[in-house]
Amino acid sequence: MDLKDIKAIIDLMRKNSICEFELEKEGFKIRLKRGPNGSNAGAQADEQVGANAGIGQFPPSQPVQPMVQPPRPSQPPEIEIKSPMIGTFYRAPSPEAEPYVDVGSEVNPDTVVCIIEAMKVMNEIRAEVHGVVTQVLVENGKPVEFGQPLFKIRPTE
Amino acid sequence: MNLDAQILLVLRNLGGSAISAADLASQLGVGRSTIAAHIADLRRHGFDIPASPHGGYRLVGTPEYLNADDIVSRLGKPRVVGRDIRVFKETTSTNDVIEKLARDGVAEGVVAFAESQTLGRGRLGRRWFSPAGKGLWFSVLLRPKLTPQQTTQITVSASVALARAVETVTGLSPKIKWPNDLLVNGRKVAGILTELAAEQDVVRHVVVGIGIDVNIEPHRFPPELKQTATSLSIEAGHVIDRAELGARILRELDDVYSRIMRREFEAVAEEWETKCSTVGKLVVVTIGDRRVRGRAEALNSEGALLLRTEHGHLESITGGDVIVEK
Repeated sequence: MDLKDIKAIIDLMRKNSICEFELEKEGFKIRLKRGPNGSNAGAQADEQVGANAGIGQFPPSQPVQPMVQPPRPSQPPEIEIKSPMIGTFYRAPSPEAEPYVDVGSEVNPDTVVCIIEAMKVMNEIRAEVHGVVTQVLVENGKPVEFGQPLFKIRPTE
Repeated sequence: MNLDAQILLVLRNLGGSAISAADLASQLGVGRSTIAAHIADLRRHGFDIPASPHGGYRLVGTPEYLNADDIVSRLGKPRVVGRDIRVFKETTSTNDVIEKLARDGVAEGVVAFAESQTLGRGRLGRRWFSPAGKGLWFSVLLRPKLTPQQTTQITVSASVALARAVETVTGLSPKIKWPNDLLVNGRKVAGILTELAAEQDVVRHVVVGIGIDVNIEPHRFPPELKQTATSLSIEAGHVIDRAELGARILRELDDVYSRIMRREFEAVAEEWETKCSTVGKLVVVTIGDRRVRGRAEALNSEGALLLRTEHGHLESITGGDVIVEK
């Protein structure tokens, strides 16, 4: 890998809004990092790449330095489920029933997560994504506004 | 409209006078033997259609049980609501039936009646008392071009349609308890439960479930309903023709729905306000674990109930249980 290859990788990262890139093979390790926001990347991101990148070729005898952080899959950002209407938020189909979902519940696009009631219109809200509930943002029986976030979901592929 | 419904329509329009098999056949463009076979079939379903050798067929009586052709023949030409009518002897809940039809892609306007429901339901999993043959338990499928928020227009309008139909058919003067219960002399005779399938901005479909206590005798009400519920027959003092009332409600629903679609909801909302008996009353609203007590001052433009609480501030109520204090 030479400087031209690395430049190509940086260009690809910028184009696809990738913040971090790491490649490791025998006797060689490269880690590229850029600013979190693709839109204001520019010079700042380039500087960061320069500062953080461990560009170079290690001699074969030199052990590879242990990484500070174990490699982890890039996590997509959390998604908020928002209320489509002004109404009252219910976490369960009836007062005696268990909540539809709780923190940690796995959901799919068809999973009902709550009911919003407005004047006896009962609106079953569905997750609309595959994922895991990470936060319940509203208490049972509380009024909600249009567009108010109700749940946070960490999507899974 | 199928041939049975067409025969019923012709006979009904004659107002009890007779028509010969030959005239009926030529009017409907079928053979006399076909007419004879269909009349026999209608009789088997409980229609009282005597035939005299000289006069011909007359419609004297309709079956005790609801019959889809009978209701269709009373509707005229529905724009949307009642274009397709299905009657079930028993089901879990007519909302379930319609929800399934909705998912199968059936067009809006289909109505499912059930003579009895084993799992008739109200808000938040509550049971709805629906004894066989004594009420009108039915649901309507709509696919309106509205936002989820605007679907409250449908439940408001449905209560107006119910009130109009009950007034016309029974002569009673029902009032609406916010948002859409129907009361006669302060007791509940009908409820509406609307279930919505929607994405963030788009309504996929709406299921409007309606339950009306039509001919329930006083002793049939379970103890917990005796103080708060009544039936139209109790209040009117006589048995009500369910098919006539059902058909009238569908016509009124068709009317208010077409108004909503023409963006004329305001006119329906005004009618709703004049029929709503909750404004001006002291009420207790239970929402989840919270209770709010106050005076219902007005309705806002979205139909929410504006409550002046005990502590003096104004709260807009969109859900929960409203109990009117005497």
